[in-house]
Amino acid sequence: MNFEAKRCGVQFSPPSIVLIYENKSTNKLRKRIIPVRKYSKDSDYRKAAETLKNHPRHRDYLQSVSQSQLERLHIILRDHMQGLSLEQSLASFRLDPEQDLNKLDDDELARKKGKMDELFEKNRKRKDDPDFVYDVEVEFSANNQEKCSWDEESDDGF
Amino acid sequence: MAREGSTHPDLDPAKYDAAEAVKIICLGDSAVGKSKLMERFLLDEYRPQQMSTYALTLYKHKATVGNKTVAVDFWDTAGQERFQSMHPSYYYKAHACIMVFDIQRKITYKNLSMWYKELREYRPEIPCCVVANKIDADMKATQRSFNFAKKHDLPSYFVSAADGTNVVKMFRDTIRRAVEYKQNPTDFMDEVLQELEVKVYSSNVA
Repeated sequence: MNFEAKRCGVQFSPPSIVLIYENKSTNKLRKRIIPVRKYSKDSDYRKAAETLKNHPRHRDYLQSVSQSQLERLHIILRDHMQGLSLEQSLASFRLDPEQDLNKLDDDELARKKGKMDELFEKNRKRKDDPDFVYDVEVEFSANNQEKCSWDEESDDGF
Repeated sequence: MAREGSTHPDLDPAKYDAAEAVKIICLGDSAVGKSKLMERFLLDEYRPQQMSTYALTLYKHKATVGNKTVAVDFWDTAGQERFQSMHPSYYYKAHACIMVFDIQRKITYKNLSMWYKELREYRPEIPCCVVANKIDADMKATQRSFNFAKKHDLPSYFVSAADGTNVVKMFRDTIRRAVEYKQNPTDFMDEVLQELEVKVYSSNVA
């Protein structure tokens, strides 16, 4: 059985993960609603996401959904249980390139990392890809490099 | 790391005295992709050991340098970077250092000077490199010259943990430099630290 996830989201009532996937053997799009059970406003979203990803009944469908996306969806579900609006919840994932992420707590940092993972997963070359190359070496010529504006302020060490 | 009373056998610094073992540490801000780089380099070998008591993650790797097999331990920060400082045992007996920043976030580049300063307090001479990660997010970054590495005379790499660009090269270079350093160390810091430990110990006894 081969399923390719197309979109993955949440539904608040009852709390569920909603998956749109393509069945590769029939080329048909299907929707699967996975209820999230025993999950409350105090639950550990990491554990819940991991349990779901490895769940014998769902894991084949969720193979192409990353762990971090499942974590993110569980965070949104939990935020809702804690009374946050969807807008507030989504705002917590937004990236501000000026923000010092060293200052965030575990939960806040996980949200930002989850957001970064979207691009990472999109650009990711996996070892199972047919064109995967382990050692990719690219030389970037130093000749036509421009000065970086980040070096302009005369800080200590730059 | 003897932050708690007993030391985990995997963290016993004595093992890095063996000729065929090196310790390589990673430094850099939160979310610059340190663990993702490890994962890309190690692939199937990727089996991190979470040492949560010590706020660090350990990755073991067997490398071949010349005709010798070398046991490489990579130390990764596991959130310790948020204290803007690492426990001294993180640096202790390290043979090389990989410093990472995110080309999309200036602050992670600016903080390199803080990490470098701390590194050199403990390990004045070990080989170190500067890694500009996430170039897949903005290839234009590779046309910029980041001065920090040049200024400190450190090798630098444009890499992407996502598509793999230059990741393996960077790690192999660093392992080779760690082994070379080990064969010909120039740091006296470990001896000084040990001396201090002995003194502290004897004064306690006295």
